Amino acid sequence: MNSLSLKDRFRFSRFFRGEKPVDGPIELNQRRIFILPSAPGFGFVILIFLLLLISFVYNNNLAYLLTFLLASIFFVTILHSYQSLSGLVLQQGHSAPVFAGEDAAFEVLIYNQTATARTQVQLSLESTLSLDMAPFSNSQVRLQTRTSQRGWHYANTITCFSFYPLGLFRAWSPLRFNLKTLVYPKPWQYPLPLPQTLSGAAISGNTKRGVDDFAGVQTYYPGASIKSIHWKAFAKQQGLLVKQYSGTQGSELWLDYEETSGSVEDRLSQLCRWVLDAEQQGLIYGLTVPGIRLPPDHGKTHQLKCLEALALF
Amino acid sequence: MDVLANRTLFVFLLTAIGLIALPHSNHLPSPLVIFFFIILIWRFIGIWYQRWLPGKILLYALTFTGLALLYQQHLGWLGRDPGTSLFMTALSLKLMEVKRQRDIYLIAYLAFIVAASQFLYEQSMFMAAYIVFVCSVLLAAMVMINSRHANIKASLKKAMTILMQALPLTLIIFVFFPRVEAPRWLLFEDPNRAMTGLKDSMEPGSISDLGLSDELAFRVKFTGTIPPVASLYWRGPVFSYTDGKRWTQGRHQGSGMTPSVSEFNGDVYRYTLLMEPQDKPWVYALDMPSEFSDELFQNADYQMLTRKAPDKRSEYQLTSSLLYNTGQLQEDEWVKNTQMPGAASPKIRRLIADLQSGTLSTEQFVGNIMRHFREERFSYTLRPPLMENNPVETFLFETRTGFCSHYAAAFVYLMRAANVPARVVTGYQGGTLNEVGGFLEIRQADAHAWAEVWIKGRGWVRYDPTAAVAPERIDQTSYFQQQFGYELAQLVPRRNLQGSFEWLKTTRELWRSLDYSWQRWVINYHSANQLKFLASLGISGLNKMIYWLIAGIAVFTAVLSGYLFRQRQKPKDKALQLYARFCKKMAATGLVIRAGEGPQDYAGRIKSVSPELAGPVDRITGLFIRYRYGKKPSGKDLSLLKAAISELRIKKGYSVKGKSRSHF
Repeated sequence: MNSLSLKDRFRFSRFFRGEKPVDGPIELNQRRIFILPSAPGFGFVILIFLLLLISFVYNNNLAYLLTFLLASIFFVTILHSYQSLSGLVLQQGHSAPVFAGEDAAFEVLIYNQTATARTQVQLSLESTLSLDMAPFSNSQVRLQTRTSQRGWHYANTITCFSFYPLGLFRAWSPLRFNLKTLVYPKPWQYPLPLPQTLSGAAISGNTKRGVDDFAGVQTYYPGASIKSIHWKAFAKQQGLLVKQYSGTQGSELWLDYEETSGSVEDRLSQLCRWVLDAEQQGLIYGLTVPGIRLPPDHGKTHQLKCLEALALF
Repeated sequence: MDVLANRTLFVFLLTAIGLIALPHSNHLPSPLVIFFFIILIWRFIGIWYQRWLPGKILLYALTFTGLALLYQQHLGWLGRDPGTSLFMTALSLKLMEVKRQRDIYLIAYLAFIVAASQFLYEQSMFMAAYIVFVCSVLLAAMVMINSRHANIKASLKKAMTILMQALPLTLIIFVFFPRVEAPRWLLFEDPNRAMTGLKDSMEPGSISDLGLSDELAFRVKFTGTIPPVASLYWRGPVFSYTDGKRWTQGRHQGSGMTPSVSEFNGDVYRYTLLMEPQDKPWVYALDMPSEFSDELFQNADYQMLTRKAPDKRSEYQLTSSLLYNTGQLQEDEWVKNTQMPGAASPKIRRLIADLQSGTLSTEQFVGNIMRHFREERFSYTLRPPLMENNPVETFLFETRTGFCSHYAAAFVYLMRAANVPARVVTGYQGGTLNEVGGFLEIRQADAHAWAEVWIKGRGWVRYDPTAAVAPERIDQTSYFQQQFGYELAQLVPRRNLQGSFEWLKTTRELWRSLDYSWQRWVINYHSANQLKFLASLGISGLNKMIYWLIAGIAVFTAVLSGYLFRQRQKPKDKALQLYARFCKKMAATGLVIRAGEGPQDYAGRIKSVSPELAGPVDRITGLFIRYRYGKKPSGKDLSLLKAAISELRIKKGYSVKGKSRSHF
């Protein structure tokens, strides 16, 4: 780990927001872990002073002894609090894209490559979840966060913290990963018929592959649908051929930004709905938004490409 | 975990609280104790039957009942007893109202206070061990709150670990933390509490353990020289009536009778006596007072009494002479001081006849009794066995061990059986010279009992039979030696022990020496002793004490964190250690295992980059997986793994990165 400059070291945000976002794994060590008494911890300090007063007033050595024992326990607990987090390694995982308004889940991997078992390590982003870790074990947690806007959604500071063992101290480590997830526009929630677009014909040129009229055969190309393989020709040992259809103009669907109405976000929502519907109905569709033109195609990859284009528009 | 709904946690916590409060039932008023345990049991039931717990109105009623009980039992709030009761009641009421996690912490903290207050009543080693045990249970409950699952064993283990690690630090603080005596006004004394001090009766056989309190009884400042320590007898209540077991002041004791002292001789000592608050109007004058201030008066037994309220600290001017003659004895006084609870037994009469044979005077008879005590292996102890029936005879012929009251009572009984007027005098003996203030401090532990014999021509003459047995009790000036010196005398093993119970005696002696050390080093480690002890180590002055305290804490922290850190670094898993060695070797090639990468993935990556290593890498990975994740790990696999890793040779200068770069 590279060293921090003195100015950065005492930057206030380091204690709560964390250091600059990183890609790689972060090991929790003395630089990352902060410890302060919790509310019950401050209560415990008051208790110690009260007991000290009682011992003093009654000049009672055993009461002193108990007071000192509790004070020592308080002190020793600082080290145990540190031990509850130190040596853990956290790493960012994958995060699946979601539609705006859904919960995005950031995956975080935690490795405990030490002989110390960890009890109730808590991770919080928007909500908090806790886990126990056996010695030499790994875990994977998914931190949920609400999304409202399409586009890249960056994870905030993830705080890894623990009150273990006595709850007198909160040991915490604010972590920032380059953790982002793609948020697609929220699909239009009202019924919306697919556009009967004709405009595509003029623009699309010669790539009019459809499913209606048989137009001929072509040698196999990766990604061709299994249904379109010319099995009879294959049986006749003519090689793997793919049947070509020329679709009617109506069946070649163009999802055009210009054909939607409303605000930008509304339009993108509507397009999103169309993409989902078109894919579900097995249509071949292209997408046109200002500045982006995705030629008609179908399949999961195509759909994701379209959704990504909408998300980042 | 949901702390508030967890039954295990509550059972655990409530048990701990019950254990903490249990010893308090000995000394707190029983209505309060009963109130506490009713609520505790109620709460216990409430764990399983939530709806039986009190509602808001009932809770108010309970709180009111608790407060009313407190007030009725103690008539006040401040002081040891009301304070303890207050915390007990607060703890029990808080148990009924647990709504948040914070409430559980508050309960635990209240329980710690109740546990500490236990030490204001009893300071034995057992009690200390018991309280530490109970506190570890409380700590375990706190661990449980902060765990996901209420695992009793794991929580207890963690609590014990923390406790054990905290102990050395506790000792460091205990030794070096400066003790400052609290000013008197800080002691919220409870006016209704029985104060320690002498009692108005004496029953030696019924006490098996004489409390040693170092509480101050009074201070004396002499204007001139201080008399020798051996003659410092501070006169308290005089007991002349006995029923065989119990000694009391007798019926005719009254203030109306004017005592007479026919003559005073020798040096005259003038002094100021500063009494600490007590519950009786007794003023302990040096035997025998000749002049005293107006607020004092003397009763027929020459005891000084005050007309002032005794519960305030008060000062008196007195003059005493060590040599005196009380003169003639009145007829009724003679009768009173030869009173017997019944005829003496033949055994006692034989003993008296033995001791009296050939004596011409009372003095010679007394001398014989003293010699009898000295030569017949009587011993002094603060923990004599109980002598319920016929205590004098049991003491004289069977146990032969006891403290001052036993000796004084037995001596007076023997004198009376021989028809010599005699009586028991109680008070204090000796004192510690406070060199700074130049005054004597007389503490409760200096309480003493001796005897007076009336001798024709000399009047009442003081005899101290305890001095015959344990002269150090009287002679020595050091407070500690005075308190414990005779105990030490007991610790010297006797050579002529007979019978097979020797080991038992050895054990008992060992225990006594342990108990002595406990008293000496823990309970009485107050400011003076701390200064003395630390000075013997070369640490003097408050500054140095604080430096040492800080240094001790620093060393402890370094050692403990070093221990915790080292422990974390060293994986206990042998296979993993070996695998780490393998990874280290492979890292030299530039292929570092990634966090979260499994052994198989890593092996795949190595093989794809340098296929020539496939053989050994596969073998090592296979062995590692079989040993660590297999159903029956065998030691043979481990040694094979070890050998395979040792055999793995990575050529020097061989770098996968460099090799792959050459392709481009």
